[in-house]
Amino acid sequence: MTTTTLDRLAQAVIEGQAAEAVAEATRGLEEGVAAESLLHDGLMAAMRHVGQLFEEGEIYVPEMLVSAHAMRSALEVLRPHLVEQDVRSSGRVAIGTVKGDLHDIGKNLVAMMLQGSGFEVVDLGADVYPERFVQAAHDGADVIGMSALLTTTMTNMPEVVQAIRDAGLRDRVRIVVGGAPITQTYAEEIGADGYAKDASSAVRLVQGLVDRAAGSTDGRAPGAR
Amino acid sequence: MQNGLLRMALAAAAAKLASAMPSTASSAATAAAGVGSRQRVELALAHQEPDRVPLDLGGGLVSGMHVSSVYKLRQALGLDPPGAPVKVIEPYQMLGEIGPDLLDVLGVDVVGVGRSTNVYGFRNEGWKPWTAFDGIPLLVPEAFPTDPERNGDILMYPCGDRSASPCARMPKAGFYFDAIVRQEPIDEQHLDAEDNTEEFGPISEADLDHIAAEVQRLEPTGRAILGDFGGMSFGDIAFVPGPTLRHPKGIRDLEQWYMSYVSRPQYIYAVFERQCEIALANLARIHAVIGDRVTAVLTTGADFGTQQGPLISPKVYRTLFKPFHVRVNEWIHANTRWKTLIHSCGSIWRLLDDIVDAGFDALNPVQTSAADMDPVRLKDAYGDRIAFWGGGIDTQHVLPFGTSAEVRAMVRERIEIFARGGGFIFNTIHNVQAGVPVENLLALYDAVNDYRAYPMATQA
Repeated sequence: MTTTTLDRLAQAVIEGQAAEAVAEATRGLEEGVAAESLLHDGLMAAMRHVGQLFEEGEIYVPEMLVSAHAMRSALEVLRPHLVEQDVRSSGRVAIGTVKGDLHDIGKNLVAMMLQGSGFEVVDLGADVYPERFVQAAHDGADVIGMSALLTTTMTNMPEVVQAIRDAGLRDRVRIVVGGAPITQTYAEEIGADGYAKDASSAVRLVQGLVDRAAGSTDGRAPGAR
Repeated sequence: MQNGLLRMALAAAAAKLASAMPSTASSAATAAAGVGSRQRVELALAHQEPDRVPLDLGGGLVSGMHVSSVYKLRQALGLDPPGAPVKVIEPYQMLGEIGPDLLDVLGVDVVGVGRSTNVYGFRNEGWKPWTAFDGIPLLVPEAFPTDPERNGDILMYPCGDRSASPCARMPKAGFYFDAIVRQEPIDEQHLDAEDNTEEFGPISEADLDHIAAEVQRLEPTGRAILGDFGGMSFGDIAFVPGPTLRHPKGIRDLEQWYMSYVSRPQYIYAVFERQCEIALANLARIHAVIGDRVTAVLTTGADFGTQQGPLISPKVYRTLFKPFHVRVNEWIHANTRWKTLIHSCGSIWRLLDDIVDAGFDALNPVQTSAADMDPVRLKDAYGDRIAFWGGGIDTQHVLPFGTSAEVRAMVRERIEIFARGGGFIFNTIHNVQAGVPVENLLALYDAVNDYRAYPMATQA
């Protein structure tokens, strides 16, 4: 029964059972369920639920991490099939912590939640210099995500915005920021397109920006290369 | 605005210069400034109003100041000649030595005692000069590596052992070190709590001697002594990667560790149980050599909050952490006169019923800049049961990025909120970071000086 396989896949992700999620994804493929359906109705549905539980205070960072890891394990099973079937991502997001900042748990969580929402995530890692963000924008990222935990490193964010502007790429990418000391006001001050306070709202923010970009006059589809 | 503080600094400097024997003058000044400090802190922790709000700066590794800011503050107050280096007393967060003269000028009431080695397992000795990435002249311990790697980063080695794999990294142009995770493949079938408690052995004679000697040295200052003896900080993410270990075993990756709270809870419980047994045995030996001469001890520094809410669920706190917090608090209260201090960053409002119930005497750093951490609500809800050791000024926004007037206004407001009925030790919210304008540092301590006296002007 395909619906129960999908349900069990989603449930395994919600409960953070990586081995079961992999088993259910594999079973789904064997049963002939489309990889796209396993992604959308299994993994992404599960991560939407996880995000909702997090926002409602029902689950916390550890639970969210185990769910995200389970989702990732299952996604690896689906990935070759998604590529083969040319399933489009929701968009490409390049994400990293800014120069001088090595604190990447928050960034990793955002990256996993975006993956779980169908985005292609280019993880630039920690201590990322402006030129690497520029390169990622040049390479076709729809959204650039920057994270900083420290008051001493958040001030490197405007440098990245400026570098992207100088490279003539500012109109092609949306820039989002986050991290403990960051605020909406700061995001506006430095000319970013958005701020999210946690991983769950980061997904909503990025989705909104990508949807709006898709609806804009250039007609460029999100995630299109 | 900073006239008061500058006047005090100049007086202290003049006293130094006027004396033929600077060391005598200095110790006399220390004794004079220190009168009543210990009692002041004790009264505050007992929820009584002392003569003025006690002030902590540098008493612990979570109530200090980044060495760059210490340098700028000392320079601004004329305590050092230009270019005089400041010692890095804690290499991980790069905390600077406050120094007895600055303690006097600011009227600080707390000093700290820790183990003989720092977070990377080597002694703070054999000082050598180093210029930080921001150009500040420093003195660092001999085992502190100062030669950058090819990419400009500085790598730190456990116990200063260059043959081991590095345990921490300061990125080029950075201000601090952060852990390098050394995680061997996790064998789920053979997890052994001993692997994650290797660093928590019986306290060494060298540590006991060091603690006893430091208490002996600091007691005559009259200041309250804050002990940070280590080993009781269950699940402290700063130490999970095993910064003192040459070959860390067990679970050392930060994400894996956090995930273990829900995916391997039995293992975590076993680790904490073993750690707790070792810690209580060590506390008994420490108490045997120093008695009740320390006023308070920092028992745990594990962070339970993020900027937006608790990091872990109340259920995880209750099942994995609280039993051990209760055990440590009960042992200390049954066997010593020490007060216990818990440090946790972030938004922990939803955990506070349980944290307070676990028997802590004081909470640090009271991160009012995080969600749900409104100072008035905190004081009203918990002020009669736990003392606030922190919450004095927001170090995420106002102190580094606000104006001097905003700093001053917040200090005044916080003292008005928290000081009522005692139960308040003024401390910035966590360590003062690098990059804070020195005018704001001066405004901060000037305002503390102006508003700390009881009875509070605004009290009914």
